Amino acid sequence: MSVQVIFLIFFGGAAVWFGVVVFRTHSMVRSALALLFSQTAIGAMFLVMQAEFLGVLQIMMMATEMSVMAIFMVMFMMDPGGMGAMDMTHQKRLSLRAGGIGLLAALAAVWIPDWGLVATSVPGAQQQAEDLGRELLGRSMFIFQSAGLTILTAMVAATMVAIVPNEEQRK
Amino acid sequence: MSILIILLSLAAGAYVLAVLERWAVHGHLSLTGPAWAALALLGRESVLARTPDRLFFEAGPVLLLVAGLLAVAVIPLAPGLIITDLATGALFLNAALAYVLVALIMAGWGPNGAYGMIAGWRFLGQFIAYAMLIVMPITAVAMRAESLSTTAIVTSQAQLWNVVYQPIGFALFVVAAMGLAWLPPLDLPDAPGDLAGGVEAEYTGVRLAVLRLARMVIILALAGATVTFYLGGWLGPWLPPAAWSAIKILFVAAAMLSVGRYMPRIREARYLALSWKLGISLALANIFVVGVIALVVPI
Repeated sequence: MSVQVIFLIFFGGAAVWFGVVVFRTHSMVRSALALLFSQTAIGAMFLVMQAEFLGVLQIMMMATEMSVMAIFMVMFMMDPGGMGAMDMTHQKRLSLRAGGIGLLAALAAVWIPDWGLVATSVPGAQQQAEDLGRELLGRSMFIFQSAGLTILTAMVAATMVAIVPNEEQRK
Repeated sequence: MSILIILLSLAAGAYVLAVLERWAVHGHLSLTGPAWAALALLGRESVLARTPDRLFFEAGPVLLLVAGLLAVAVIPLAPGLIITDLATGALFLNAALAYVLVALIMAGWGPNGAYGMIAGWRFLGQFIAYAMLIVMPITAVAMRAESLSTTAIVTSQAQLWNVVYQPIGFALFVVAAMGLAWLPPLDLPDAPGDLAGGVEAEYTGVRLAVLRLARMVIILALAGATVTFYLGGWLGPWLPPAAWSAIKILFVAAAMLSVGRYMPRIREARYLALSWKLGISLALANIFVVGVIALVVPI
């Protein structure tokens, strides 16, 4: 087993473990930061797989995204510090089923299709950044722009749904 | 070998910076002051708040130090004198410094105190203000160098330093860097006076020493980044390259530290408004102007 595979397993395990911690803790801040470190571990997996730009980008973006998410969780949850040991989960059976189906779908997408030979050699980090730039500003531009707009709309909508209007606003 | 040299010069730099900060804040120059202060901190009792989030409380200062050290890893002090010359160095610097935010939120939340918690979340607001103004000027710098590698960025300035080539970007970057290192007048997360020390309020003893050291490292990393991106890095006549790096970095750090003496602290809302309405427009204009210059007159 090469060093690369060992590190890949290590960071993969860390990503899964922090993912489990997200649901095991009562504290919203701990939960958000556990998700952050899970995503950071995935960034480290990219680095191990020599996808330097993607790895660094993942590590950078997640730090800020998850911190912003943490403050929203603190604002909207009744027991943000988890000191009252409240149960913040709901619709457990539905979530479990959805998660299970998602996992099976992902595994099927990995194993069933014949991916063929993906790459014969890893391009240099400089070349990767250039290729990614051409891809993002070329044929994938529309997809990424519409995804970005969709996420923004979803965030604004979710925040508006979550805010409970006070008496004056209701009138 | 270069790792050892860089770490030693980082330690020396942090000490010099501590002397400079004392000079900038309290107005008297004392060469042994920081050493005594550090010794006193190490000897003092480490008080632990009641019902803390112990994990965050302990991990916050350490994560801050790690973030600073990782940022230093991509700053070249001379040709070949760099810990790791990544092809994505300029992006990596951002990635490392993004964890300053995480560390401060952890350190603010950890001790279960109002001042610390407000300060930690306040830094998140401050982050929303400075983040774009760190990234967008770097974009313009990378556009000229046609690379994200920090050494390539330095060598791209052989003809003309970026401070002359893109002065708007330079001004925006320095102000944003001061926001990132929470230097006065942008010291909202520790705000002596209105938050009683903020993030530092509940820290004592060894943990406070780590927190302060980490901040020195972050200031040095940002001064190093300013020098690398805008002031030609190690480039300069007569003196050896490493000497030029040292002189420029200390000069930038001293300049950043002394601004706070002459300006009152800015309010959070005003800082956000200025950053977004004025700063981002200027940063976009900077990217456009640099793009046009790079296409029309390649220097």
